[in-house]
Amino acid sequence: MSARRIVVTSGKGGVGKTTTTANLGAALAMHGKRVVLVDADIGLRNLDLVLGLEKRIVFDLVEVVEGRCQLRQALIRDKRFGEALAVLPAAQTRDKTAVTENQFAKVIDDLAELCDYVIIDCPAGIEHGFRSAVAGAREAIVVTTPEVSAIRDADRVIGKLNERGLPMRLIINRIRPDMVRSGDMLSVEDVCEILSAELLGIVPDDEDVIDTTNRGEPIALRPESRLAAIYAKIARRLEGEIVPFSALGAPSFLSRFLGRKAG
Amino acid sequence: MHELREEPLAAPLPAQRGRCIVVTSGKGGVGKTTTTANVGVALAASGARVVLIDADVGLRNLDIVLGLEARVRHHVLDVLEGHAELDAALVSHKRLPSLKLLAASQTREKDDVDIAAFRGLVDQLRGRFDYVLIDCPAGIEKGFQTAIAGADEAIVVCTPEVSAVRDADRVVGLLGERVKITLIVNRLRPSLVRRGKMLSVDDVNAILRLPLLGVIADEPGVIVSTNKGEPIALDAASPTGDAYRKIAGRIVGTDTSQPEIPREATFLGKLFGGQR
Repeated sequence: MSARRIVVTSGKGGVGKTTTTANLGAALAMHGKRVVLVDADIGLRNLDLVLGLEKRIVFDLVEVVEGRCQLRQALIRDKRFGEALAVLPAAQTRDKTAVTENQFAKVIDDLAELCDYVIIDCPAGIEHGFRSAVAGAREAIVVTTPEVSAIRDADRVIGKLNERGLPMRLIINRIRPDMVRSGDMLSVEDVCEILSAELLGIVPDDEDVIDTTNRGEPIALRPESRLAAIYAKIARRLEGEIVPFSALGAPSFLSRFLGRKAG
Repeated sequence: MHELREEPLAAPLPAQRGRCIVVTSGKGGVGKTTTTANVGVALAASGARVVLIDADVGLRNLDIVLGLEARVRHHVLDVLEGHAELDAALVSHKRLPSLKLLAASQTREKDDVDIAAFRGLVDQLRGRFDYVLIDCPAGIEKGFQTAIAGADEAIVVCTPEVSAVRDADRVVGLLGERVKITLIVNRLRPSLVRRGKMLSVDDVNAILRLPLLGVIADEPGVIVSTNKGEPIALDAASPTGDAYRKIAGRIVGTDTSQPEIPREATFLGKLFGGQR
């Protein structure tokens, strides 16, 4: 068996790589896929926190690479998803040079034997940690926000992915439709045009993400949340389904008051 | 010797060597570049001579946030490698001539920067400016090591999120005892804090335990000003701009007030423009 191997990257930090990795993993797991999420941010790991698994870490990626434990021993199964979702945590007290590109690629190859999707949460930047995270991937998801600086960094990263021949699709994260409408934020069309990239998903800015992230409960687990529906759609697009993009129905002022949900 | 371009020759050199402050965070996207730009603008507006160095080689953004991207001719590696004179690489801010930018190289890698040479450049700039502010890249790799090499003070920027706090804590550990560290809590949403959906400033600092330099509210005005290349600290009417000006005052030592927790624009205030 050979799993899909997808790196989630962005160039700029803080645009939502880890949140995207966690929620996409959750959505794919709920879609019946077996998923392993890999935290490649050695020294600044956070994927464990976002999934609420930080207290269950025994071994980490670096210990796997150094042969101090078996790969399966280091995987933390997220029990909320039965057998479907597991995380390979990064080491916190080491730095990125602890793992070479080849060693990283080998771990990803080994994981690909165990599941349907290996999703790699890339560190910010384009240094050694980026190169390692990308080394084991066969495709990429570039996350960006509709901000000039994030787009410029995404553009640089897309160039680096192209050099490596990695196919990529784009998730535009934290869009605020009201600000797009008032001309204070770039639109989805603007971003896609600048980056000339194929769109995989559009995720609106939602304050509940901060709270769910702090609590270690990915928002994709909340069936009533509009973001759960959006991540489910992204998961189906990854699976090859053609899922139309709904017009970015920002909850209008009144619908917010009346508690209606956007489409 | 080459002459200074815009500063009059008669301008006195700093009475003492300038201070070098690195703006860092560990986690990306928490507002390092926005902080560097706004604190730099506020310091320059108060009369100080300020140079901002973008240390994010390969992923520069400080030029955009300052609205200077079209004026960048040379960058930090050009200077370090002897392809450009320092003065030719310093870009003056359009409204504040005492504020200069030294841009990062966009098409190069952080591994190309020699740490000792970078430290030497910072040292040279400290002889000419009151403040050298360094916009550190995200992460704790070589780019971080380079950016902190010449600094003896650090502003750690942290958002009220568990992941940002954890990364900031790691960075504080790496900065060590040598560096004097202060904290800016960025993008606070008081309404979320009140509803128990966001960490408070006290929650953040219960973990980090750093002297608090300032608290900045999460407000769309910052995104708008950043996209326009006009730091909000230039907006005399903005409460967020005022918060940055107070931060500058605390750095200089002229403002001894305790940082305020931003108040939220009330619903009615928003409707009637009461806050702005």
